[in-house]
Amino acid sequence: MTEKELPLTGETTPENEIPPKKENGNVQPKKIGVYLCRCGGNIGDVVDLQAVADSLKTDKNLIVNIQDYLCSSQGQERIKNDIEKGRIDRVVIGSCSPKLHLETFRSMAKKAGINPNLLEITNIREQASWVHDKAGIDAKVKGLIKGAVARIGSIEPLVPLEKKLVDRTLVVGGGIAGITTALEMADNHEVILIEKAPFLGGHMIGLSKTFPTLDCSQCILTPKMVAVHNHPNITLLTQTEVADVKGSPGDYTITLKHSPRYVDIKKCISCGACARKCPTGAIFLPFAQAVPQAYMIDMSKCKQCGACVKVCPRDAINLEAKEETSTISVGAVAIATGFEPLDLSVIEEYNYPAPNLLTAIEFEEMLSAKSKTGMRLQKADGSFPNRVAFVLCAGSRDFTGRGKKYCSKVCCIYSQKQAQLVKKMKGDAEAWIFYIDMRSAGRRFEEFYHHTQEKGVNYVRGKIAEIIPKPDGTLMVQYEDTNLGMKGREVFDMVVLCPALVPSAGTKELADKLGVPLGDDGFVEEKHVKLDPVNTLNQSAFAAGCVLGPKDIHDSVTEGISAAHKASQFLGKGIILIPPEKPMILECNGCGDCVKACPYNALNLEGGKAVLSPLACTGCGICVPACPIKGIEIRNYTRNQLKAQLKAILGEAPGVVVFLDPYAYAAADIAGVNRKQYSSLVRFVSVPSIHILDADVVNAAFEYGATGVMLIEGTTDEKLTSRSDELYKRLKKETRKHKKPLRYSHIETAQYEKMTDLLNVFATQAGTKAEKRSKKEKGDSSETAEE
Amino acid sequence: MKKETILPETRDTAFRDLILKTPVGEKIPTCMQCGICAGSCPVSHEMDYTPRQLVRMVQLGLKHEVLNSNTIWICTTCFSCSVRCPRGIRPTELMETLKPIAIAEGIKNKNSKFDNIFSDVVKKNGRASEFLLISKYSLSEPGMIKQAPFGLSLMSRGKLPLMPDKMEDVRELDAIFKTGEEKQEKKPESGTKENAETKAEAGEKNEGKAADTGGEAEK
Repeated sequence: MTEKELPLTGETTPENEIPPKKENGNVQPKKIGVYLCRCGGNIGDVVDLQAVADSLKTDKNLIVNIQDYLCSSQGQERIKNDIEKGRIDRVVIGSCSPKLHLETFRSMAKKAGINPNLLEITNIREQASWVHDKAGIDAKVKGLIKGAVARIGSIEPLVPLEKKLVDRTLVVGGGIAGITTALEMADNHEVILIEKAPFLGGHMIGLSKTFPTLDCSQCILTPKMVAVHNHPNITLLTQTEVADVKGSPGDYTITLKHSPRYVDIKKCISCGACARKCPTGAIFLPFAQAVPQAYMIDMSKCKQCGACVKVCPRDAINLEAKEETSTISVGAVAIATGFEPLDLSVIEEYNYPAPNLLTAIEFEEMLSAKSKTGMRLQKADGSFPNRVAFVLCAGSRDFTGRGKKYCSKVCCIYSQKQAQLVKKMKGDAEAWIFYIDMRSAGRRFEEFYHHTQEKGVNYVRGKIAEIIPKPDGTLMVQYEDTNLGMKGREVFDMVVLCPALVPSAGTKELADKLGVPLGDDGFVEEKHVKLDPVNTLNQSAFAAGCVLGPKDIHDSVTEGISAAHKASQFLGKGIILIPPEKPMILECNGCGDCVKACPYNALNLEGGKAVLSPLACTGCGICVPACPIKGIEIRNYTRNQLKAQLKAILGEAPGVVVFLDPYAYAAADIAGVNRKQYSSLVRFVSVPSIHILDADVVNAAFEYGATGVMLIEGTTDEKLTSRSDELYKRLKKETRKHKKPLRYSHIETAQYEKMTDLLNVFATQAGTKAEKRSKKEKGDSSETAEE
Repeated sequence: MKKETILPETRDTAFRDLILKTPVGEKIPTCMQCGICAGSCPVSHEMDYTPRQLVRMVQLGLKHEVLNSNTIWICTTCFSCSVRCPRGIRPTELMETLKPIAIAEGIKNKNSKFDNIFSDVVKKNGRASEFLLISKYSLSEPGMIKQAPFGLSLMSRGKLPLMPDKMEDVRELDAIFKTGEEKQEKKPESGTKENAETKAEAGEKNEGKAADTGGEAEK
């Protein structure tokens, strides 16, 4: 007899059950260990785990155990012991999100001698105890655990596929974070570093002195830029952006877009002959220390006279240059695209831009290598500003939607540095800092604050309410000195706004192409906020610097080193493990529908039958409903496996079934971390992609008592999302007979608030509909009784 | 003004909770004391407590100081603070919430005179009359005599019509006021609670709308 007997679901195996792949020497019947974690009180205080355990007792093939901390060595030891002693051969864990500890538990299971796939985690923390109160939660958790038990019994012990990695990394962004990442990797791996601007250095090359030591930015950065330029393993491409990404983690083919410089970097020797001849000043060296050292042309100024072309001794200038593209093959990508300032014109009362009203970045640039004033601080009229005000939190800490919610972290310290510079340049000049909270956490920063106070900088605790530019170029500011509760008015020669720092333009487009989710603030979402700070949900994509949130040079460098280490570690393995949950072709009449449906060209017809190329396959499952004879199933996500899981989940209590793809699952986890409450009627079912679903599964959910079914898709892969509408319409049509609500929604990982709002509304609507239906049915039956 | 020590007995947590439950109260705990409200306020220098301080006192439940302050009466409802507050607190609306509570508590404040005269004029005529308002207010506020030349020049340009514009049947308005007053007597604090309820209902409706548009196969 095969594993056809799955007594755990209590369901007789239907005729068309696909016999799962047989494993040699498998013991029957399967014995399952269910381990529930109290997580201190995180889960135990909300969910009655004992009641959950008791509800499982009827099943004799189960061992149920509750632990305080399952992830502790004691907790793991218990599971390991049970496996080694042969008491169990499959494991269901009810704990925090699999994102946190799945790998921990699976490597333990492997050591104990079972296939790691035979251990699964049911998320009862981020998706239960953190988002519901006690009402209804026990029924939910009981259902979810029973669903997991029903599922694990029929899981095939698959082994991940192996794919060779391309040992080359693309670093996107040539600021300090990208430079560090590239340099730290280059001794052992090939690196391609691309930068949007015509030169390296990012924002850092536009800084004057750097806090808290006041060493000059270009002095510490230039050697690194030169090192990048000279490193034999680094290819530096400026004026370059990512146009397209194809392939899969570990093996990407990326198209790059190069905007024209009109000067060949390799030929140019920066002799400057061209600039001396140019009548309009269109050809120039960006600045003295620029890397690469080459002239460039501003076409908006160029008159195409050709004087430069004639004079160039190296024949380096080509006025006809056009935008070009090239393709590269890389295994890993490091995202270091940094930040840009918030557009401060949204803060109307600050009247930005106006003469002598600058952002702190403009102030810095005036005193940096990129200076256009000969590194002199000056007003619009060229004179020195004798009274300078610094306005902190311009567009930060704002919860109204006008600005950004977060603190931009660096402004408190850099504004004090800038104030010190003003005082250093002119001893009797006045520098005022308007702050809400002076945040100087971190080594050497409180000392820096103290030192700045000693220098005679004037601190006012209060947010500037209004900045009014005067006709004479001065600026009047109005504020409340909140320490005194008195309103104040001052006139300054220059006002420096410290803007909120936002992810640089194009961050979203790049992240979408790589399948890297962003947070609701627009910054790249870390794989784990604390424990995996430079990894992303894409195992081959890493991030460093301000694309992960505002930070100073020190932290950007630290993250650059970390990202380099993580990327090296990833590439060092030489292979990438691919999830084995791929389609299996059980029956084929050679119609070719699946071949046409597959967006990744992973299916082909060979000898009249469909054949899968597993390495090209992403496991999206579009082929499953595409097959007219239901001959394709995704391993471990077969129709029957999903149905058995749904039946067990809904057997406990009716609820709303919500299918989540991995990105939507991550959104639900973030909602949990943020304790966003929603209806405990929601029952999540995790699927590799919503496209594996067909009417069979959805109808089954309705039959087993789902009051509504929702499909939430989080992926940004257009090959999938472009077909979602069609999927939804088809399912809607084919499940109409149940007259129960079906919804589809595209919710990216960052939009977890939208997700919880939607879940609440949908759960309520599904509930109301169900109520109406049961009333109607009751009404009907009483009427018939009367008759 | 003599300032009291903040003590457990001077903090009225019931008062604080009452205000926090009103529609404007929800965001009050998030005030970070940046002072943009007071900095933006055209009349905060006339107030015994600035709007920022008033919010702080509400957070603490300093009922006596809050309801006796002239701040709530001096506010001109220009809404600058409400528009600019980075935390979404709406100090102008907070003043409007506090005024009826101060009246209900029988607290007299010399700065409430203008509000009283204004509402009297409206009650009598069904319309605001600038002439009546200013003349009545000037009679009770001797300092206003300085404004007389300005008033005369307004009158000479026809900007201050002497005859108040009356509504057709003022008795209808009386009835409305009477109903309101009766309701107030039956349910003290009802004003604030009702507001909160209607807001919650409106919120639910909005959510429903969002879901209607958000549910159907949207991207």
